[in-house]
Amino acid sequence: MKAIMGTVRNGQIIADQPVEWPEGTRVIMEPAAKEETLEERFHRLSAIWHRETAYLSSMTEASSHPAYQQIIQLGPDVIPLLLRDMQARHTHWFAALHALTGAEPIPPSAAGNVPKMVDAWLSWAKEHGYQW
Amino acid sequence: MVTPLEQVFPGLAKGDYRITSPANPDYNCLAWAVADTGKWWWPGPDEKREYWPPGVLRETTLSAFQEVLALLGYLPCVDEAVESGFEKVALFADTSGKPKHAARQLATGRWTSKLGRMEDIEHELGDLEGAVYGSVVLILKRPVTAVV
Repeated sequence: MKAIMGTVRNGQIIADQPVEWPEGTRVIMEPAAKEETLEERFHRLSAIWHRETAYLSSMTEASSHPAYQQIIQLGPDVIPLLLRDMQARHTHWFAALHALTGAEPIPPSAAGNVPKMVDAWLSWAKEHGYQW
Repeated sequence: MVTPLEQVFPGLAKGDYRITSPANPDYNCLAWAVADTGKWWWPGPDEKREYWPPGVLRETTLSAFQEVLALLGYLPCVDEAVESGFEKVALFADTSGKPKHAARQLATGRWTSKLGRMEDIEHELGDLEGAVYGSVVLILKRPVTAVV
């Protein structure tokens, strides 16, 4: 028999579609495991990374954190989320973007200048057709 | 209630510190210590991401940090006592001698620190010693008239 999904409302379980099982069929109900979207996973890992590395003085040490590395492992689909977050908060996704794209658009004159580094990456992303 | 900062730096828990700026990911402790908030100063392996003065060995060692500070007129001194006519910077390092943090002395004798990507705070020097930044291993000073 096909499983039926539903939603709890006011203490009642409302099925997503009419139930065609025979009258008197006993059923088991338990909360469905919620599948994390890419965005949810990114935000969860990002929060861990911020909490555990925000006090570090070294970008390299921060980007070596397991949560940062797991964000890189999310693959190219995460690039727009990185760009959006970097644009809004200047988050240091430079190493992640480099790992995911192979690009390194920061000019030597912008070394260490975070606003200019962000601008360089956003310009590069725009030129390469990314939308975020 | 223990704040997130106090969780990371238990020495702050006695409450003798104050936050003096919002969190800012554009500069770090060394930049703040040498009064250059336009860059993130650290000798990371990628010279495009972290600024390190040209000509100084790009390695996280006390001697490299000392060399950078010497370029700015800082020389090692005896202790953290306020000295009229001088400004001081303190370097923190872990047990292997690897630099982890820099703080700058204020005219009052208290210290100011930028905590990674987090806030600037005013504090007592020993407040930040511990598991995260290690301990103070070197104090340097320069005349307040020195040009950066």
